[in-house]
Amino acid sequence: MTWRRERWSADHSLPIGVTKRAQVGELVRAGDIVAAGATLAGALRVPGARKLGLSPADLDRELRVPVGSDVVAGAVLARVGRVFARSVTAPIDGRLLHITVDGDLYIAPIVDRWTVRATLDGVVTRSDDAVVDIEGEAWCLQGAAAFGPDAIGEITLGVDRPDADLAPTRIDVRLAGRIIVGGARVSAEVITRAHACGVAGLVAGGVPPAGLRVVYGDTVTAAGAPSRDDRPTVLCLMGFGSAVLPRAVFEPFAVLAGARAAIHTASARLFVFSTADIGRPETPPPDVVVTGEGPAAYAPAGRADADVDEGDGDHEEPAQNDEELTPSASDPTSSER
Amino acid sequence: MTVSTGIDAPVEETRIALARALRVALVHGREEASRRAVVHLALASGAEIVTRVRATDPRSFVEAAQALRDAKPDVVVIQGGAKDEGALAELLEALRLGCGAQRPMPRVFGLVDTRVAQALRTRASPFEFERFASASEMVEALRQLRRGGNADVVLRDALIEDGARALATTNATTALVVDVTERSTSLVLARPDGRIEAAHLVPLGLGMGADHVVVRASLDNVRRWLPWPIDAPALLERVFNRTRRTGGPATTEAAVLLEMALAREAIAHALRDAADAGLDVAAMRSAPSILITGQAASLPKAGQSLLVLVDGLEPTGVSTVFREPDEGRAERIGMVVSVTTRKSAKIRIVRATGRSVARVVPGSFDLVAMGADVEVAVNGAGVRGHGRSGELGVLIDARGRPLSLPERDAERIPAVARWHAALQAIAEDGSST
Repeated sequence: MTWRRERWSADHSLPIGVTKRAQVGELVRAGDIVAAGATLAGALRVPGARKLGLSPADLDRELRVPVGSDVVAGAVLARVGRVFARSVTAPIDGRLLHITVDGDLYIAPIVDRWTVRATLDGVVTRSDDAVVDIEGEAWCLQGAAAFGPDAIGEITLGVDRPDADLAPTRIDVRLAGRIIVGGARVSAEVITRAHACGVAGLVAGGVPPAGLRVVYGDTVTAAGAPSRDDRPTVLCLMGFGSAVLPRAVFEPFAVLAGARAAIHTASARLFVFSTADIGRPETPPPDVVVTGEGPAAYAPAGRADADVDEGDGDHEEPAQNDEELTPSASDPTSSER
Repeated sequence: MTVSTGIDAPVEETRIALARALRVALVHGREEASRRAVVHLALASGAEIVTRVRATDPRSFVEAAQALRDAKPDVVVIQGGAKDEGALAELLEALRLGCGAQRPMPRVFGLVDTRVAQALRTRASPFEFERFASASEMVEALRQLRRGGNADVVLRDALIEDGARALATTNATTALVVDVTERSTSLVLARPDGRIEAAHLVPLGLGMGADHVVVRASLDNVRRWLPWPIDAPALLERVFNRTRRTGGPATTEAAVLLEMALAREAIAHALRDAADAGLDVAAMRSAPSILITGQAASLPKAGQSLLVLVDGLEPTGVSTVFREPDEGRAERIGMVVSVTTRKSAKIRIVRATGRSVARVVPGSFDLVAMGADVEVAVNGAGVRGHGRSGELGVLIDARGRPLSLPERDAERIPAVARWHAALQAIAEDGSST
């Protein structure tokens, strides 16, 4: 685990119901809304092509509103004929969500709105109904696991030393919107207090898994728990429990304090947007250079794939035992697991 | 990896290459048989089940589509009858909505009759729809995907199945192979005629799958197997940090005992899933030949492997137990005689050098030393069978089935420590850190 400044890619999965999204080639900054949409409830299926006497393939031509549009009850969705016109109307206020192979229409009521924000300064490289990918240059720390939604904020040091634990009393509402670096450990109390105070996210060497269970539920695993709902965001850099950050990792936080940063929870990465020289620019090995093929926010494919025979091939020595943690560059990321 | 089929059989050297994790979503009809069929397919192929959707799923269309999108499946496995056709077609619409933009697109594998397949194929567009006439064909296709199209790659699960077949053929009995690795747990039952039933669970193991063992079994169920008191947060921390280990054998007794605890629960849950998929768990428990492989076989002492097996599997008959570490030859480690009795009973043990009688008390768990690997027949207290004693001897397990542990620490820890001591699976002083 080292600081690296290079070109990264981050994917932003979108929920169903996207209304608008950034287009490929668009420049965005971390925190910008790259997609927005509606949260939809149970959808109604409305006969379409059959009712109009059309083949399903011809329905598209007769649609009066594009799929993905908001409609009001009674709005004409499709219509054929002039004198003896036949039409399909929306039975409810909602979103024209989907057209089936048979030419039927799904309309779903809108119960809420959502937005997805960029976690990288850069350019949109892919944009569709499922995902928006962004590529950009930033300082980055690859963590072990991340929990909660993506977070964007200003880096703030919450401790003086890498071996210090972040005390709950250090958290107050003045830190709202910041990403706080918590040293060797952040407890469940710190996590919940930080969330209540509006802190954007927490970064620490280790997080007690029992605390994670308190906050995220008993089904939480070591692979992390990226989510979209309103929960605390925690990036666990080295392992679980208490893990003292190496000086080479901790000291740059002091230089980068105040810089904009983002936690991309799906890849368990901290991006910091600063041109500051943190003293140890690492040249990435060739196998981790982002090629732009696919969601590169996933760490390079490694040994974590299933069914690897542990007995074969060259392996590194165990980097840690049950009692102590030592950073290892080859640690698999959450997305690989 | 070295694979052999018993101490008398030749050892084959096999290179296992990388295979990728395959994420499958299961979509099935309303019948219980349909649900079992898709679960069986996933377990047999060693794929990771990322979501399940039933034809009568109470979730709304949008929720089903969102679940499928979040699952990011590589393959969607569909099974159902003619009366499920409408509901399955609707779920395929949910798949189109949820995963239409996924790259690469998921493929749809159907184990349905030709008429249903024809109806579903049009509704699956733009996804590639393949119909399979039999479960075995689909399992092979799923494995081929795991191989990434490279036919030279030998999958670990396929190798374990070959080993189980060979063991069953060699001994002319039903044979069970129990394989527990860092990330997977497998149970393969082979019959002498070559038929097999297999369940390969991913992720569920002792390293990268250790946290999943805790999620499934609960922390208390893992902790109950430890012969010393430990508070839940400390144990959870050890388990979570195991997922970040880079391999290698456990070096401390505490780590070994934790691996043993995880392995027991992994095996127990693999059995539960196998039963859920309709596999013959009773035959697995009563298999006369049982081979332990993987990390559960690589524990420092043979008694540790044997203890993991009897606690996790809960065998019900007379079984000869082998173990075969990834880097080593197969060895016969002992014979397990499972006795269920409500009162004291006698078991006659016959071997070439003579016969003896062992008194069995309900709840007892004792190892009877037999000398080096001798042919033994046992009779009495509802058990009858024969096998070979192996390195450790004959383990008479009268703890009853299902095995229940005392709930209070003060009673459970001494009992568990006693079982460990019976198989020399723990240091004499019982201390652990």
